Amino acid sequence: MRSNHKGRSMRCTPWVSGCLLIAACLLVSGCQAPETPKDLLVPTEAQLKLRNIQTRTFDVTDRNLAIRAVISSLQDLGFIIERANDSLGLVTAARFAEPNYYDVVSITVTVRQQTPERLTVRVNAIYNNKPLDDPKVYQNFFAALERSIFLAKE
Amino acid sequence: MTASRHSVKRTSNLVAAGFLLTLWLPGCSPYELRHENQWNAREQIWLSESSQLKVRSAQSRVYDTTDRRRLLEAIVSTLQDLDFKVEVLDDELGIVSGKKFVNIEEPFGTDPTYFFYRPDTILLLTRNYRTWGPFWHRSNLVRFTATIRPRGETQLMVRVNTQFYLRAVEDPAPYQTFFRTLEQALFVQGQTAE
Repeated sequence: MRSNHKGRSMRCTPWVSGCLLIAACLLVSGCQAPETPKDLLVPTEAQLKLRNIQTRTFDVTDRNLAIRAVISSLQDLGFIIERANDSLGLVTAARFAEPNYYDVVSITVTVRQQTPERLTVRVNAIYNNKPLDDPKVYQNFFAALERSIFLAKE
Repeated sequence: MTASRHSVKRTSNLVAAGFLLTLWLPGCSPYELRHENQWNAREQIWLSESSQLKVRSAQSRVYDTTDRRRLLEAIVSTLQDLDFKVEVLDDELGIVSGKKFVNIEEPFGTDPTYFFYRPDTILLLTRNYRTWGPFWHRSNLVRFTATIRPRGETQLMVRVNTQFYLRAVEDPAPYQTFFRTLEQALFVQGQTAE
């Protein structure tokens, strides 16, 4: 009778040790929220390089015209305008990215009067949660913007 | 003899299975479990772990300028530098808000609960047009608000609040780096305008 009991407990041991091990591993890996990264608000090296690609200067005196040109070129590119602030020259827009319609490209454009004759336009494009760093994307946007500024001037 | 060898083999199988299981589940993966549900607003009051005064002083900075607009523009361009998307901008009230996502984890492919995520389980952040969307809204989202208000006749005060992983950031380090970047932007702007 006693030996039978001992045998049963022997049989349980691997299971118990296995379960304990799994529990221990889970405890070690933890259930906690990650620590706040120290570099949460630090611009990356790549971003500083990107800044030049994202910025372009135009010989336009009328800032309102430039903002309207930005809006219409975003519309040309299939974006939905989310926000447009005239006094600070900010336009944000978003669109679904083909071919995967579950991806989103969102874009922030600022228009600033640099001197009375010139203004700068800065564009940030973000694909889902990563900034777009391909210069071609920005070149395409600025090409569209140049066209629509030209049309708006006429 | 054979029975004990058998049990040893079984133990090692279980150990291997346990190890694989923990590799498969990164941490305690269900997103719901990582965030506490706050049923009572009083809990929110006690949520802050460090002194409010200390946090507030880390979040605020005073500038010797009355050019509110220039400061706002500098904040917006700093947000652009940091890959934020500007969501709220009010020059009369002096508010700038934005959001961005940081890649702290890659749930896709490693985390099976990714597919079981219910976007309506949290009311706070998913009531936007992207409730269908990527599931990292919750864990990867960084939210940011800056307010500008006059301080005396000749100064302006900027206060910045940041939220990460659904909690207010109370560590002063991210704020310090933000203000450093902002000061650089102000400097750059001042240089180019003159």
